[in-house]
Amino acid sequence: MTVENDLPGVRRRRIKVGRRVLPYILSLPALLVCIGILVPFVTAAIYSLQRYRLSQPWARKFNWGENYLNFLSDPDFWNTLKVSLVYAGTTVTLELMLGLGIALLLQRRTRFNNFVSIMLLMPLMTAPVLAALMWKLMTNSGFGILSYLVSSVGIQDFRWASSPDTALLTVVLVDIWVYTPFIMILLLAGLRSLPSQPFEAAALDGVPRTFVFWKITLPMLMPYILTATLFRLLDSIQQFDIIYAMTQGGPGDTLTVFQVEAYLNFFQSTNIGRSAALMMILWAITFVLSNIFIKNWLKLRERAN
Amino acid sequence: MLETSPLETFLRGVAILLVILFFMFPIFWIVLMSFQTNETILRIPPSFIFEPTFDNYRALITGKLETNAASLDIAFMRNMGNSVLLSVGAVLLALILGVPAAYSFARHKTRFSEDIAFTLLSFRFAPPLLVLLPLTIYFQKLGLSDTYFGLIWVYQLICLPLILWIVRGYFEDISEDVEYAYRIGGHSWFETFRKIAVPLAGPGIAAAGLLAFIFAWNNFIFALVLASADKQPVTVGALAFVTASGIQYGQIAAAIVLSITPTLLLAVYAQKYLVEGLSLGAVKG
Amino acid sequence: MTEKSLKGLQLDRIVKRYKGDTVLNGISLSVDSGSTLVLFGPSGAGKTVLLRTIAGVIEPDSGQVSINGQDMSGVDPEDRGVGMAFQNFALFPHMSAYKNIASSIEVKERSASRLDAAVRSVAELLKIDQVLDHAPRALSNGQKQRTALARALVGSPSLLLLDDPLRNVDAKLRFEMRIELPALLAQQGTTVVYVTQDYKEAMALGDTIVVMTEGNIQQTGTPAEIYLSPATIDIAKQFGDPVINLFDVTPQRDNKGQYISLSNSRIYLENGIADLTNGEYVLGIRPQALRFSSASDEESIAATVEAVTPLNEKTVTLLLTAGGRELLLSRPAGLDDPEQGPVHVSFDPSAIHLFEKDSGKRVELINTKTEAVA
Repeated sequence: MTVENDLPGVRRRRIKVGRRVLPYILSLPALLVCIGILVPFVTAAIYSLQRYRLSQPWARKFNWGENYLNFLSDPDFWNTLKVSLVYAGTTVTLELMLGLGIALLLQRRTRFNNFVSIMLLMPLMTAPVLAALMWKLMTNSGFGILSYLVSSVGIQDFRWASSPDTALLTVVLVDIWVYTPFIMILLLAGLRSLPSQPFEAAALDGVPRTFVFWKITLPMLMPYILTATLFRLLDSIQQFDIIYAMTQGGPGDTLTVFQVEAYLNFFQSTNIGRSAALMMILWAITFVLSNIFIKNWLKLRERAN
Repeated sequence: MLETSPLETFLRGVAILLVILFFMFPIFWIVLMSFQTNETILRIPPSFIFEPTFDNYRALITGKLETNAASLDIAFMRNMGNSVLLSVGAVLLALILGVPAAYSFARHKTRFSEDIAFTLLSFRFAPPLLVLLPLTIYFQKLGLSDTYFGLIWVYQLICLPLILWIVRGYFEDISEDVEYAYRIGGHSWFETFRKIAVPLAGPGIAAAGLLAFIFAWNNFIFALVLASADKQPVTVGALAFVTASGIQYGQIAAAIVLSITPTLLLAVYAQKYLVEGLSLGAVKG
Repeated sequence: MTEKSLKGLQLDRIVKRYKGDTVLNGISLSVDSGSTLVLFGPSGAGKTVLLRTIAGVIEPDSGQVSINGQDMSGVDPEDRGVGMAFQNFALFPHMSAYKNIASSIEVKERSASRLDAAVRSVAELLKIDQVLDHAPRALSNGQKQRTALARALVGSPSLLLLDDPLRNVDAKLRFEMRIELPALLAQQGTTVVYVTQDYKEAMALGDTIVVMTEGNIQQTGTPAEIYLSPATIDIAKQFGDPVINLFDVTPQRDNKGQYISLSNSRIYLENGIADLTNGEYVLGIRPQALRFSSASDEESIAATVEAVTPLNEKTVTLLLTAGGRELLLSRPAGLDDPEQGPVHVSFDPSAIHLFEKDSGKRVELINTKTEAVA
């Protein structure tokens, strides 16, 4: 203990300014990214209020709500809305049921179950575009294994994504393949974090297991189910990769969900005003959903920490 | 646990088997395809037994496809290189921007910092095209449209919220006393961040980085809209490759296998943190 | 030199609020240079927040901290020249014990050899020189605690802040350290602020004890003052083991003056004090102030022995008075005293404490004396 004592407070005030401002300086880059994203967002909002076609730049002018008003009488828009909702509703419902089922199957912490759950994450870690391509190869009418299997059980002329009748089914199948593991892994973590006492008590009392599931497991799991469902719903209503890679929105306008329709509007018909208006409507939907989501998510997060 | 009847055990076994079959078969089948010539692929019924060939991989890796008619250039390896560059670049930038911000948000909660954090989070759920479409026009004006940097910057949309929210949770887990002790020991705020907070949150930062890498690698729409042909990552490249190569199914399969291998390996490596990452820190695995 | 410069630490009306809760409600106190002040109180009293405010890691909403006469407003914790040990040790898990200790002086001490000498000498003093290269997780709780102390001490800080450092160590070690620490602190000659919830620690270590509850100072005094004249019922209960005997009483008045009746004796309060008649009060007698007496002793209290608990150096007896009140009596062990049956106890009337029932505040008594009821 030979260190000379510094007089306390000698070096003071020098850092005082930095100390107050430092947290702000450190969050500055994040703020810049925020602004960098908010600028195009505002731009998109402005575009949506304009008549703006790349093919007719001279005719660009504000037409205010006209793009939105036109939607009311535009069957293509209603088709987009319908297809998006049907797609999101179908995928999330099926994925939730499947994911919950698988999570229940794998609930016990055995080495085998853990191995399976890691294996099942693979589809989720596959880029959705590449997953779509994989399924495209498997459903190829010439050599696809799935086409072969379907025809060998007697269903002839099943054309998967190429037929308007089965295109939705096909993309939903790919979506289920990719994203069911997402719900499964969240619910599995949820199931495993539930306290064991209520279940032990119910088992001791000989309560029937279906009753235990509906009255104990499900209510206790609800926060996880809600978070996983909303999370998926938010992504699913914006699905682009799988549908674009599989059919580019076709055949015809069978699968022109919001983002695909907006993409085609922008790059093919170069109708920027309509494309931006479509995105604004999708944004409004996701904004409402994400607010509900964030509330649930925060509750779960607090519990986790 | 409750005792189970033999019938139930059997049914559970069958169910798990079906689940594994459904989720694993496509990967298994594509891997098989990637080792086949077009000839065996096109055989009906499809065959499980064949003489494996590495021609597909050789063609992809050398970038030359020799057919009877002509020699064709394949840009696939460049796509792989782009993917690596874009993903690594995006993750590094997100770490440089996100980790200090996460620390400041964890330790100095203000209205301002919470607003930024939640705004960034909300970007994660906003439709990407909403931002991308105007950006194509801005990028042309700013001269970013043909640069890696422009893309890496846009990738922050996915990487930054992820890093910020996960790493913030790890910083919040560090006992404040430990940091106080270091400061009282004569170290500045920044030294404490560097020597105490970052090393202690190290595993979380690494996991968040890996996850951000996976999401950046798997991203499709950003690059589809913004990347010029020579900057395309594998996701966009593979789709273009399908159109260009037409009937070279074995190579398509091989390209898919090569493209998904990095993320699958990383996922297995980081599986302990996946649940936390996928739920942005709300659920711990 | 002003008078202030003699103070190792001075706090002036420190206020801290969290989300509307007042954690520190205008705390003012001062500590003489080189002496030890103990902050005593239940958890949630604001002791730890106060300690952190002194260290500078928490900024007060208002009020002033001065160390050795220097105003610390706006001075960063690293520039205050204090040493601090934490209740949960707060060791750096990714550094060896040596590095943990060295971290406190590595900024100031540029000479590697002097740094090494300083670390080793403090480690020797605290008997952890054998485990310096261990990581914290490889240390026992006692070693962790000593490492944390060494880290606080190594820079010879002019002000040492110890936040309940013995809280998380086992009873044996706590006992050892309670004996060792005062000598150690005296040897350092530094001003010490010591936070604890353990009254024995407070009594053993403090030159001054400050009792806090809910962000306020309840009483400040030497250990003897706190024990002999506790300012409130709560303090009387917290200092002393076994806990003080408390009875609800209502003083009466007869021709000799105000009195409190207890069994068949009356405790007369001197006329000088205010009129307490018919008010609600609490009478406290420490178990150590009670003694067995013979039945012939007129003012003694008749009781029966309910239970006897020998505790090595002392014996605690639970008694039931004729009036149905429970009494604890504590005596040095080894005395041959009744194990059961009817007994009589008496006490020195000057040893009683009286508190207002509602506020819990102490009522100062003078010249109390006991008389048997005729």
